[in-house]
Amino acid sequence: MNKQNAIQLSSVSKTFDGFKALSDADFTAKWGEVHALLGENGAGKSSLMNIVAGLYGPEGGSLFIDDNPVKLKGPKEAAKLGIGMVHQHFKLVTPFTVAENILLNLGHIQTSGLYRERLRRVSDDIRAMAERIGFEIDPGARIDQLSIAEQQRVEILKVLLAGAKILILDEPTAVLTEEEAENLLTTVQGFAREGAAVILVTHKMNDVLRYADQVTIMRSGRTIKSLKPDSVSVDELVKLTVGESAPEQMAATAKRSPGEPFLKVKGLTSTGGHRALNDLNLTLNKGEIYGIAGVGGNGQSELANALMGIPESVKGTMELIGEGDLADFDAARRRAIGVAAIPADRYGSALAGPLSIADNFALGDIHSGRYGPFWYLKTGAIEADAAEAVRQFDVQGVRSLKQKSALLSGGNAQKLVIAREFSHPPKLVLAHSPSRGLDVKATEAVRERLRAARDNGAAVLLISEDLDEVMAMADRIGVMSAGRIVTEFSQPADRQAIGQAMVNHV
Amino acid sequence: MSEFALEQPLIKRRYTLEVRQQMAWHWQALILAGSMILGLLISGTILVVAGVPAGELLNEFVILTLFDAQSLSSVLFQASPLIMVGLAGCLAFRAKFWNLGLEGQMIFGAIGATAITMWDIGAPGMRLPLMIAAAMACGLLWAVAPVLLRLKLQVNEIVSTLMLNYIAINVLLHLMYGAWKDPKDAFPYSPKYESFELLPELGNGLSLSIPIAIGIALLVLWFVNISRAGLYLRFVDKSPKVASAVGVPVAKTILMAVLFSGALAGLAGLMVAAGQEGRLTHSFYVGYGFSGILIAFLARNNPIAATFAALLIATLFVAGRSLQVFYQIPFAMVQLIQAVLVICVASSDFFIRHRIRRVQGGD
Repeated sequence: MNKQNAIQLSSVSKTFDGFKALSDADFTAKWGEVHALLGENGAGKSSLMNIVAGLYGPEGGSLFIDDNPVKLKGPKEAAKLGIGMVHQHFKLVTPFTVAENILLNLGHIQTSGLYRERLRRVSDDIRAMAERIGFEIDPGARIDQLSIAEQQRVEILKVLLAGAKILILDEPTAVLTEEEAENLLTTVQGFAREGAAVILVTHKMNDVLRYADQVTIMRSGRTIKSLKPDSVSVDELVKLTVGESAPEQMAATAKRSPGEPFLKVKGLTSTGGHRALNDLNLTLNKGEIYGIAGVGGNGQSELANALMGIPESVKGTMELIGEGDLADFDAARRRAIGVAAIPADRYGSALAGPLSIADNFALGDIHSGRYGPFWYLKTGAIEADAAEAVRQFDVQGVRSLKQKSALLSGGNAQKLVIAREFSHPPKLVLAHSPSRGLDVKATEAVRERLRAARDNGAAVLLISEDLDEVMAMADRIGVMSAGRIVTEFSQPADRQAIGQAMVNHV
Repeated sequence: MSEFALEQPLIKRRYTLEVRQQMAWHWQALILAGSMILGLLISGTILVVAGVPAGELLNEFVILTLFDAQSLSSVLFQASPLIMVGLAGCLAFRAKFWNLGLEGQMIFGAIGATAITMWDIGAPGMRLPLMIAAAMACGLLWAVAPVLLRLKLQVNEIVSTLMLNYIAINVLLHLMYGAWKDPKDAFPYSPKYESFELLPELGNGLSLSIPIAIGIALLVLWFVNISRAGLYLRFVDKSPKVASAVGVPVAKTILMAVLFSGALAGLAGLMVAAGQEGRLTHSFYVGYGFSGILIAFLARNNPIAATFAALLIATLFVAGRSLQVFYQIPFAMVQLIQAVLVICVASSDFFIRHRIRRVQGGD
């Protein structure tokens, strides 16, 4: 056996409630390399890595770490063997500080002394490590005060300080801006150069081509192939990941004339201590997609919350021409007007995971009386509509409308959200990172829906930290920085200029 | 590498624990039933140790209580207020509102009903409907403060509802030893209700409270399963954060469910006063609040299951009394059995939420 192998998995299988997530998957990663694990949503990438991280027990096959056979009893044991995983959904305790979270994770390492003393030592370690790898992090900051990109850095510091030599990053760039992603990937590439093994779980071709030394491709629970990324063309990689029928590249956005103004946001400012929004002004016209680009943490989430009616303390106005201020509308009124909201956090503010698909769908039209009066819910009508929407919006993995919506994969959950929000033709669409974590096909489906809404005259606001998405979708682009729109661009826009605007205004 | 301490499996098989996504309902029911049976077996063992002959146990509990007409009617007699408090618990708990004030609301319901009798409000024919309305209104009022405090100021309802129980008990004692004391004798209870102030008998020792209880159970079933409020309640129950984001009127839903809960607890108070005691007494409330929580818990907040759980608890009450008489077993034993059942059912939840899987070892 080759002595260089950091991880070797052979013919591993895993079943969830009868669904075969992994079947005879093989995977080998060597020390000193960045190894990309490429595949669409639901291909089994995360499941495979969760087995390496000791979170799932495999049903068959074997696992070797550093060429030794191991049986992991749990994540702690994996950590002891130097395996550290940064999950797509962070595992941080929100009301606690960075240092406290990291200390909590060091349980398996002998630490002695008083709690304060240990906390101080950990804080020093965090500063030292952060400096070494070029992160800027305050060990005393509370997790809930950090942006998603910062939380991710905390997660990485957490596993590094726990002594990880095999670093697994699950979709690390999904939540990052282009520049943040570049920084991160360059940093982890540095770890590999120093001898660690880095596994990059991703569905982004670009990340693979630019940073990976080796790539393993997964499709429906199987590992299809492992190869060097520079040995194949992009087309071939795409073909391997999505199978034969690759989605078509979308056509360039035609230049169009904007309709009448529909939404006017004036002087939107956060009233809390932290000025996340600072005198934000924008006008959104009918029949256009207005894209908001910007580095994450510049007030995008707060803007999305304020517009979508999720509690957020702001002052200023959000006037919907001819209707009134958005802030004054309750859910029923929003639905009646045709306001569709696609929030970034699918299971945090759009879908109730433990409830059925039908229940989740019903809320889209519950106020109009279509599903019966208050004292009687027409379940039949709800299910008929939901079934129709599931078919029309191509939501897959629906075995029954009574199944929990949490059982849907990310892309299908997002399609369900859109199906509900678009159950009436929308007039105003508010979308925040709508394709985050979605695979190529699902992303294209979501974007197609947004374009169709625009073509039908809806005003579409697309807030996204993915510049590619904004570039591909928007008719006009506003760059958001420090809580306000600093510059606007019309298509065709200069990508370089937008990138400059994103980072220059601080 | 020495730092890689490798585990060599000592035994070839081991077990892992996995979180289950979903479990078919009949399996859930089976596990639940199994845990109840286990609880009853443990309870039986305790009773045998306490001196009840093992052979008599089945006789006392099952045959004599359920197959004897008189005992059966006393089970049903006992059951209706328990069904009410159980349903009241189901409603509040579904709104994620820990209403531990069922007892206080029940007491106030009974006080409200008795006030109607004390002040002779309404014609005799209208007396009972008025009492029912007063009982429900007073129970509801006793729940208003905690729910508003929770919704407006985030005051923890566990503390506020629990404390209001003590206030209710002391108001009751104040009335029993003071203004409402029966002038005929010096005992601390109200004067007997007039005959038209009692829940009418239906023969066989059954009063109107059983049909009322069943009717209310169906009403609650409609509320949580068929009405729009039920859909809202599911969101509030399972994903409160999502609920408000997707347009569920969370505060209104909680308010509605909790006030409904308080009204039902008030009705339970009336069922004891006008259906069992025939007057307001100072001791009737003992244990009802706890039993209500327990019933809702055993029934997993399902109104139909709560009705059956209430019957089970009523059987325990009745059997407990006869054990007390025949074997000098203290009545506290009934509460012990309740507690054993709760622990067994609570533990069964673990098996419903997790899967234990045998993993093949071997390399």
